[in-house]
Amino acid sequence: MTELKTVGKSIERVDIKAKVLGTAVYAADIKLPGMLHGKIVRCFEHAHAKVVHLDLSAAAAVPGVVKVLGPKDVTSKTYNQSVIDLMASKTEGAMLGDIEEQHIFTEHVKFWGDGIAGIIAVSEEVAERAAKLVRVEYEPLPVYITPEESGHPEAVQFTPHKPGNRAFQLPEEMFPGNALGWGDVDKAFEEADLVIEDTFYTPKQKQCQMEPNSYVALYDDSNRLNCWTSGQMPKLVHEKIARLFDLPMSRVTIHQTVVGGGFGARLGMVLEPEICAMALAVPGRPVKIQQPREEDWLTSPSRHPARYWMKIGFRKDGTPLAVDAKSVNFKGGYYLDGSALASTTGFWLQGMYKFENLRYKGESYFTNQPVCGAFRGYGNPQTNFVLEQMIERACVQLDLDPLEWRRKWHKETGDMSWLNATPYTSCALNDCLDRGAEVIGWAQKRKKYANQTGPKRRGIGVAVGNHTSGAFPMILEHTTCTVRLNEDASATVLVACSDMGQGAHTSLTQIAAETLGWPIEDVRLETGDSDANGFDIGAHASRTLYVGGAAIMKACQDARGQLLDRAARILKVNRDELDIDNKTIFVEGEPERSVSAVDICRTGIYNFIDHATGLPEGELGQIQAYVSYKPDQNSPPFFATFVELEVDTETGEVELLELVSSHDIGKAIHPAICEGQMEGGAQQGLGMVLTEEMYFDERGFAINNSFTDYKMLGASDMPKMTSILVENGDPYGPFGAKSVGEAGVVTPVGATANAIYQATGIQFTQGPITPEKILHEIRKRGLTYD
Amino acid sequence: MSKHMITLNVNGEDHDIVVASNKTLLEVLREQLNMPDTKYGCGTGECGACSVLLEDNSAINSCLTLAATMDGKKITTASGLEKGDKLHPVQQAFIDHAAVQCGFCTPGMVVKSVSLLAKNPRPTEQEIREGLEGSICRCTGYVKIVNAVEAASKAMAGTAG
Ligand code: FES
Ligand code: FES
Repeated sequence: MTELKTVGKSIERVDIKAKVLGTAVYAADIKLPGMLHGKIVRCFEHAHAKVVHLDLSAAAAVPGVVKVLGPKDVTSKTYNQSVIDLMASKTEGAMLGDIEEQHIFTEHVKFWGDGIAGIIAVSEEVAERAAKLVRVEYEPLPVYITPEESGHPEAVQFTPHKPGNRAFQLPEEMFPGNALGWGDVDKAFEEADLVIEDTFYTPKQKQCQMEPNSYVALYDDSNRLNCWTSGQMPKLVHEKIARLFDLPMSRVTIHQTVVGGGFGARLGMVLEPEICAMALAVPGRPVKIQQPREEDWLTSPSRHPARYWMKIGFRKDGTPLAVDAKSVNFKGGYYLDGSALASTTGFWLQGMYKFENLRYKGESYFTNQPVCGAFRGYGNPQTNFVLEQMIERACVQLDLDPLEWRRKWHKETGDMSWLNATPYTSCALNDCLDRGAEVIGWAQKRKKYANQTGPKRRGIGVAVGNHTSGAFPMILEHTTCTVRLNEDASATVLVACSDMGQGAHTSLTQIAAETLGWPIEDVRLETGDSDANGFDIGAHASRTLYVGGAAIMKACQDARGQLLDRAARILKVNRDELDIDNKTIFVEGEPERSVSAVDICRTGIYNFIDHATGLPEGELGQIQAYVSYKPDQNSPPFFATFVELEVDTETGEVELLELVSSHDIGKAIHPAICEGQMEGGAQQGLGMVLTEEMYFDERGFAINNSFTDYKMLGASDMPKMTSILVENGDPYGPFGAKSVGEAGVVTPVGATANAIYQATGIQFTQGPITPEKILHEIRKRGLTYD
Repeated sequence: MSKHMITLNVNGEDHDIVVASNKTLLEVLREQLNMPDTKYGCGTGECGACSVLLEDNSAINSCLTLAATMDGKKITTASGLEKGDKLHPVQQAFIDHAAVQCGFCTPGMVVKSVSLLAKNPRPTEQEIREGLEGSICRCTGYVKIVNAVEAASKAMAGTAG
């Protein structure tokens, strides 16, 4: 392989100068002439109620109010704000039971903060003043916080489509017995020497992307509906909005702005239906919604809280005979991606270890809480919290080294991966374990911390995981890419891939530049408008670099080939005798026989007739390549995290000392960006296991919907972190790369719980493991640490 | 709502403006002066996205500051840190160390770091971490931000000496 010029280097990010200057344009920064301001009237009186009477007249009479909108003033069509349903085929969607039950403004309030009406006014202040004058009469309904409550036979139904308020269970047609897996679990347990079993709880965690959701929409004078949003999947939102408002797709544009973080919170739609309904109500006038943080908290989907039961049987030597598990998600008020999360939580389980027998059941029940949807990891951190603690417990009981056990029993290249449909394409997990263990000093510390005295106890823990690169073959994968060579041979790459902040546009530009053989300055990605740059699913499932990158690579190979074909005709040689350097195409071994790539590109466009010969000066046509790319693999990345910490058994405080993560990512296209994903992911994973949970009182009212009361780890709470990139190359990924986007969040969860276990001798089943819970358990068990 | 006539200097330019007494400095910057480089992240003084620099190099949360109290004050925002076409050493260090992902916290983070280094030109890692408390970044895990501030400290010491 020739030496790589840009791939593998931490070049300056393409978007970074505007970001350090603050000139990057996010949705909230957009201002259009004549812009109006929208405000959604939300129900803050109840978490579950019927709207009996809605009186908007006083609000409408406020000077400066342009329009008030109730449920009857907008389309009566219903929708599903997630876009996962679009990625399943009709038959598959029917089997899964996906539904569209959301109204733009509801008459059945299902969570505290559900939207019931809209106000459009000349300013935010006026809209807010008017919103306070909306008179609503409610019929309060019982509030259901748990699946037992909402699943009770007498409970009020959230939607007629889902009897018993069970939003989802693995469907019988696809998963006989409503379970996935293999073998005979019950029989295997009879043969097991050790069977362990427990029930865990994983919290409702908020993405807390730093940019609150904002929108501008305009139904313009050419009858086109424009929506500026920082959603992470503009193309699918485009189709959803067109369908919801019965517009041809050619009359809708979703303009993607710079995205201020997503982590799943912007997977699909949040307030796009509301803002578009407002814009359609005042044609010709732009409308803006700037969501306050407290409301963003309630309206963008969070991680699903889940109760997660697991039972595992082992032979004395550690052989994992069988695992039986069931997770029950608290779905929140609406269905969204109800079918997907309960399934993937089990997929991560079936993808990790070589269990001889496996059974997993996944269910979701509606609850009167804000909606749940995608959050980085998509069920994987939940499974990590449970599975990795269970493995740890078994290793202690069987007196086995937890690191060696994992090395021995994790799945490998060639074993069936998470969906149990395609094999793992590459696996360097043992390298990850070796390198991580060495950096953190695992063996010495593990031994040292086995015997401690005093109230402060240290522990070191390890966890492993794997994820995916794209959603193949579970749901749709597809990216199109068009590459155009300009008059000066520089390249414009039209691709609809999103950069959520992770740096995708930089890495994708590197892939294009490397493939074409052009310097990075000569390549520009054209992204953003949903009707201009072809099709891409959007940023989810850690797919962008793996799928989008491969699409770009193929299109660039094609463009380069076309250029070489033209050069070959000019130089009268075969294409494979040619090489390119510095935009000069030459015959290998005879550099004087050459032609300039710029000349070929320019004369293809400025196609003058040479008066001397009467012939065109060059071959007519701008060089342009197009691909529609669907991957046939999903090259899962593997990873390991080690965490060292200290627990103060008198206060319950946990001090994080060190975290080392090593990721088998195939090839780092941009090493600093890859590390950034691991480091940022760790902050979220550590938060999930230690501090972060959205709390609600018994009325279903949010208690901590602000950064004051919701505790994320700050700069001085974070441990020393080391990120190790293991680059053994994957046979399918572009330049050998696998994903890294979601992976970073997963294993800090299990590793932290296991470190706390070593430190205290206690396994905490209820996340997050807060100081209160630690003290409570210590006291309950009457433990002393002298 | 009472109104106040104030003169506010932003990034070296004077603005004579009338502000309502309930308007925050953040709102006035973003809405009235059309300077969106200072960001709204929470509005309650918890995230630091709205940090701006005062003349004495202290950083304040503009979301908690009433604009009417800023008469005669000089402030600097992230976009005003660039001198000519030369980025501030802190901004350059954020670029060199890839300390930016989504970039939404970045203007505030840069302002906060400039303030921190003005008060303590050679901070330890721990001092940087503590100095950045109150500025939330959800993307980076802070590693590269801390590295960038350390590097900026060195670069600025170099230019000063
Ligand atoms: S917006 Fe001012 S601190 Fe968050
Ligand atoms: S870079 Fe996204 S919040 Fe800091």
